[in-house]
Amino acid sequence: MAIKDLTTATARRPFQRRRKTCPFSGPNAPKIDYKDVRLLQRYVSERGKIVPSRITAVSALKQRELAKAIKRARFIGIMPYAVQ
Amino acid sequence: MALYEHIYLARQDVSPTQVEEMTAALTAVITEGGGKVTKNEYWGLKSLSYRIKKNRKAHYTLLNLDAPHQAIAEMERQMGINEDILRFLTIRVDELEEGPSAMMQKRDRDDDRGDRPGRPGGDRGGFDRGSRPPRRF
Repeated sequence: MAIKDLTTATARRPFQRRRKTCPFSGPNAPKIDYKDVRLLQRYVSERGKIVPSRITAVSALKQRELAKAIKRARFIGIMPYAVQ
Repeated sequence: MALYEHIYLARQDVSPTQVEEMTAALTAVITEGGGKVTKNEYWGLKSLSYRIKKNRKAHYTLLNLDAPHQAIAEMERQMGINEDILRFLTIRVDELEEGPSAMMQKRDRDDDRGDRPGRPGGDRGGFDRGSRPPRRF
């Protein structure tokens, strides 16, 4: 019986549409820095690829800065280009 | 004069003391070129995330420079000749950060997990868009 309730309940609302805000535009937002690996790793997938901003809800301006920082970090070897 | 952040990677089998000498030589080039080094940070022997010129580890050094571009160009020319230096990156910045860089203060900042912004899942991101709608032409 429980399973049936579960399916009907989620069918109506498949996704929670919470308005995601850009994590870098707030007043005390962390500065994007190519040396800060811990911050950059949050915006890179397990394979090492940059996650698109439509998924991480980063504003376009900050996404460009983020991409530039990630590419610099990859160049100096503190972040991988690809993870096998 | 222009402000630059400069990072260079030294080969794995070079001793830290030699890295210090290399840094001293570079600062000499900068000072004689009319600039100055405001911060000199040695990150130690770190493991690289991919092999660079067959090396798995490298000595990282960060230098904050305030120098004319000729001094920087001269320093980079000498670094290109030096075989112990694997790679270097010079970036012009608007202002130099004084305190320890993000790499150094990482250790005491380990505890604050902070809220994790939208967890970027796998390559396709968190949700799956499902199959394509049927064609309608």
